[in-house]
Amino acid sequence: MKIRSVTIALTIVLIPFISGVVLFNAKLHGTASERGNFISDTRYENKGIDHKGISIDWSFSPDWRYKPLFFPSKEYLVFVFHYKNDSEYDIELAPSYTFVPPPHRRYSANEEISMYIEDDVEDELGITDETSMSYKISPGATIHYIVTFEKPENLNHFYIDVDIFRDDTLRLYYEKKCGTWVNANNELIDKYRGRG
Amino acid sequence: MFRRIVKNFGPEWGAAVMGTAALCITMQLSSEVARPFSALLYVGLGFYLLTTVMFIAFLIPWTLRFFMYPDEVRKDLRHPIKGNFFPTMPISFILAGTGTNKLGPMIFGPKFSYHLSVIFFFLGVIGIFTFGYLLVRIHFLNKEMRLNDANFSWFIPPVSHLIIPVLGTCLLDVYWAGTALASVFFVISMVALGVGFFNFLFVGSMVWRRYVCGTIPQGNLAPTIMIGIAPTAIMVVFLIKFIEAIEASHGTLFGINFAAVFPFIKISAAILWGFSFWWLFLVIILVTHYIKIKEHPLGFSWWAYTFPLEAFTVSTGLLAKCVAPYFFRGALLGLNTLAMATWVVVVFATIKWLESGAFFKPQH
Repeated sequence: MKIRSVTIALTIVLIPFISGVVLFNAKLHGTASERGNFISDTRYENKGIDHKGISIDWSFSPDWRYKPLFFPSKEYLVFVFHYKNDSEYDIELAPSYTFVPPPHRRYSANEEISMYIEDDVEDELGITDETSMSYKISPGATIHYIVTFEKPENLNHFYIDVDIFRDDTLRLYYEKKCGTWVNANNELIDKYRGRG
Repeated sequence: MFRRIVKNFGPEWGAAVMGTAALCITMQLSSEVARPFSALLYVGLGFYLLTTVMFIAFLIPWTLRFFMYPDEVRKDLRHPIKGNFFPTMPISFILAGTGTNKLGPMIFGPKFSYHLSVIFFFLGVIGIFTFGYLLVRIHFLNKEMRLNDANFSWFIPPVSHLIIPVLGTCLLDVYWAGTALASVFFVISMVALGVGFFNFLFVGSMVWRRYVCGTIPQGNLAPTIMIGIAPTAIMVVFLIKFIEAIEASHGTLFGINFAAVFPFIKISAAILWGFSFWWLFLVIILVTHYIKIKEHPLGFSWWAYTFPLEAFTVSTGLLAKCVAPYFFRGALLGLNTLAMATWVVVVFATIKWLESGAFFKPQH
């Protein structure tokens, strides 16, 4: 191959890596001052829930900021769930999460945003996020899972459904009181099981 | 010079976009395996940008050729090998849409990316169905087609249909879930899946018959054996994305309760992955044969090694999310490295091929 051809080929091959480094740096400098705060963590407030051999805790940030490279930043609702296996046997979990703001349209978690903010959230809470959609938890072990929802404008209250169990759903209610988000209530509700 | 480039710009160039585009997804999946690999997300973003540049650069001469040299296009369409490469450009639309759906939010934010993905989806669907019908018509009406014309490039039209539901289900997830557009994505995806799946079976049996009863193709077609990995690998990708779409719709899509069939979907995905894995070794056996008999010439057809391997890597990464995670995560990292190395070799080979002047030689 001629030198010119080698140079062209090498340039093409290196483009993704060099642009990756440039974008990584841009991202690092662009978001260093942003992110958000976890205003509550049931692990320390003793407000978690124990059900069917699993203790469920969650950390909550109502204003986690994520800035795309070329667009302004936006706030997201970020939950980090902590599942601890309190039983004597391995358990397999495959939870799913739904966000329900007024007027009751249901939204799923945004896995892409979770992926982008994963490292920052892990650093903030000192945990390692589980990326699988289903996972085994050994007796006594804890698994952490980041869940991100897009935040509508003028949000004052909402609830999220955490589907972990076959027969019931964990529903967490949040509302804004005097400018602060408060976990107003939590309940386990029976699941509707249709014939479809 | 530009006119000469347009005249010789064959339909196969979409394969280079495909082979580059899928790497942004393999990198993104690999970045999720563990913290030390997080930076691969940005390498994936780099591949996304390179794909965008290649896509625009190739789409211009590819499109102009239809208007400036319609006779050349007609000749290519009737060619038993080259004709099947026409859907590679519409497939690139679908892959660009998938890349935009996964990595676009990092650049443009979610809202813009999800809307842009929809545009790519519909353009890809129009192109894939148009070329699908056109190629079937040509195959059915062309009485000069012989047993020994069948080759694995015939898998490209079925693959093009199979890839539609991949983006379709990505779009059903999160942003468009529960909207009126969701039912449109669902219906188009199911139709395309049906078309792609049955065409894969029909075409596969024809090519299989040629390999068993006829002669095996010349060495320049050796890389097309790799295409056989793609259909089942793409079906795995679809199935796992389908699970995510169902979850986004809370277990029920259009009155059908899918939550009950999750285990069946996972087992089906693992079985299909197994077929692709088996085929990978078949490729090694057959390509070794070609190399032994010194019939593996340098050519643009080497791009056929890239996308199918990357589709298999993506299927491995997605399977790791719900089946035997430790095994499949390890396999994902190994396959991602292999896919990357293959892409590098093929880029160098393509530049060498261009240097030889083969681009301007008549190829009919």
